[in-house]
Amino acid sequence: MTAVTPEVGGTAGGSSAGGPAAGPPGTRGTGVRVWPPLGLAAVVAALLLVWVGSNGYRQDLGVLAATYALIALGMYVPFVMAGSLSLAYSAYAGIGAYAVGIVSRDTGWPLWVGWLAAPLVSAALAVVLGLATRRLSGFYLGAVTLLFATAFETWLVDADGITDGSRGIGGIRNLSVFGWSPDRSQQLIMATVLVLAVAFALDRLRQSPWGVLVRTMREVPAVVEATGVRVPVLNLVALGIGAGIASLGGCLFASFVRGVTPETFTVNIVFLAIFMPLIGGVGTPWGAVVGALVVVELTLNFPAFSDSGTLVLSLGVLVILLVAPRGLLGYLDALRNRLAAGPLTGLLPRSSPGSSSPAGRSSDG
Amino acid sequence: MTDVQLWLSAAEVGCFFGLLALAYLLILEGAGFFNFALGPYAMVAGLGTTWLVIEKELSLWPAVAVAVLIVVALAAVTELLVVRPIEARTGGNELSALVAVAAILFAVEQGAGYVFGRRQLPGQLLVRFDPIEIGDAFLQPSAALLLAVTVVVFVAVAAWLRLGGTGRLLRAIGDNKEAAAVLGLPVSRARLTAFVIGGLVAAAAGLLYAPKAGVGFESGLTWTLNGFLALVVGGTGTVWAPLIGGLLVGGVQVFVPYYLGSAAPNYVILGIALVFFAFRPEGLFSRRIRT
Repeated sequence: MTAVTPEVGGTAGGSSAGGPAAGPPGTRGTGVRVWPPLGLAAVVAALLLVWVGSNGYRQDLGVLAATYALIALGMYVPFVMAGSLSLAYSAYAGIGAYAVGIVSRDTGWPLWVGWLAAPLVSAALAVVLGLATRRLSGFYLGAVTLLFATAFETWLVDADGITDGSRGIGGIRNLSVFGWSPDRSQQLIMATVLVLAVAFALDRLRQSPWGVLVRTMREVPAVVEATGVRVPVLNLVALGIGAGIASLGGCLFASFVRGVTPETFTVNIVFLAIFMPLIGGVGTPWGAVVGALVVVELTLNFPAFSDSGTLVLSLGVLVILLVAPRGLLGYLDALRNRLAAGPLTGLLPRSSPGSSSPAGRSSDG
Repeated sequence: MTDVQLWLSAAEVGCFFGLLALAYLLILEGAGFFNFALGPYAMVAGLGTTWLVIEKELSLWPAVAVAVLIVVALAAVTELLVVRPIEARTGGNELSALVAVAAILFAVEQGAGYVFGRRQLPGQLLVRFDPIEIGDAFLQPSAALLLAVTVVVFVAVAAWLRLGGTGRLLRAIGDNKEAAAVLGLPVSRARLTAFVIGGLVAAAAGLLYAPKAGVGFESGLTWTLNGFLALVVGGTGTVWAPLIGGLLVGGVQVFVPYYLGSAAPNYVILGIALVFFAFRPEGLFSRRIRT
């Protein structure tokens, strides 16, 4: 497998000769490429943490951004890497939040139990929903997951005995780690570290043989099927991983805010979760994190858009889809390459290692 | 199941979903994908008319005309400015089309919330006459109009697809897009026509259904899902299949809450979707299997 995949990935990259972003993704493992994104992200995160300080409102914004980032990273795996769009992410995040809430309300166990259970439940649900539509066009998966998301919202209000109905679950216990209870600033730092870790892990996963295989499957499923890999199974695994990660976002939010209601994660979140990777750039999981920051800034922290933040966002995404399909990071990367390449070669279309991939291509190139 | 009033209500809801499913079918034939923005189109027609009448104090028919024109413009913009360029760039990649359509769905919904306000508004009655008495039940004028228009629209679309030049062209493209293009048939024009006619059907549906339960900016998403499910249940085999699917889904929406409680239809609808998607994705009436 390892011997075959770079070859396959290269073929898939080469098949898009029309696109400027084509290039084999086989440049992994150089070490130089691995650390700069993480280092840069850590610096940016540290600066943001300094900006937040001990301001309560900014701490809320920070945790919301981390929550969105986890949901968007969860969306990234099936959507950008495997090419299947699941729209039940509000439900997965809701499962995370309610798992923490129920563990706190009904048991004496530490909240971490909820953190462990929620990803498993969400992943199982994602696999069941994916199973029903595994041989159908992506529109069917989209429809059945959206139906699940709306049914789940109704269920949260309806199942009074489990979810406390429309009141939701409040008064969730504080997180504790071996008897140490972190305060809000420390929790925010932990959340940031979690996001960085997940994004870094996904970046590595994306370039691993498995990641190359999944991305190849998105472009040329027949080739992957012919190598003996069951494409539907691979797809289901991607859906499950994504749902689990998104569920962590819900756990994080409920643990920090120490409460959850049915309105915490509505279907709107689903659309924001599609937009975040597209805004930041689909070439790397870091794009999803950047997208989450942009979304929080536009919808909550930008006074001019207080009413119309989501509208501006959705129109902005349409524009991005049409004119800048590689998103913000792809744009910056192209700019950097152009500057670094000097005046003459800079005019030629270049492939940029950070954002060239089969995964990035069907919505760019 | 003997309450006539419930059956009338089911027929009304069913006709609404049937019209939405017909709009899906038209665009599916012409463009080969499901336009999830149809629900929001219908919502814009219903909500826009009411908003123009209540907030802008326009009289009824000009308001209807303006709202329908907005929907036609939205449908044309969807095809010309979004779907077509994106498909041209990605070579007809399905995921890109799906993402674009989802973004349009959300944009139309949020745009309507921003322009028309985020309140639920009542629909406008287009005709006024005494309710028709059927047994001990009453058929409201708005419901009677919806049923009548549904029949007219389905007959007209069936005739158009069978006899009309563009209608036959649309069927030819639906059967084999590449062959139609190779033969030099005007595929892009037929696609645009499909989008506009689909938009018109959706607009009519939203306009006529709004008086039943009112309309808010978030109604569109539910309508999108129910219309899609009606199409999947009915199948794409004949023009009439969407109507059958719509009536079945409408029946579920009306009878299930009556017997099982108000939250139940959401679960039953999800169950129906899972069963049909897993075991009979071609629907009840199929000509061929779409995978």
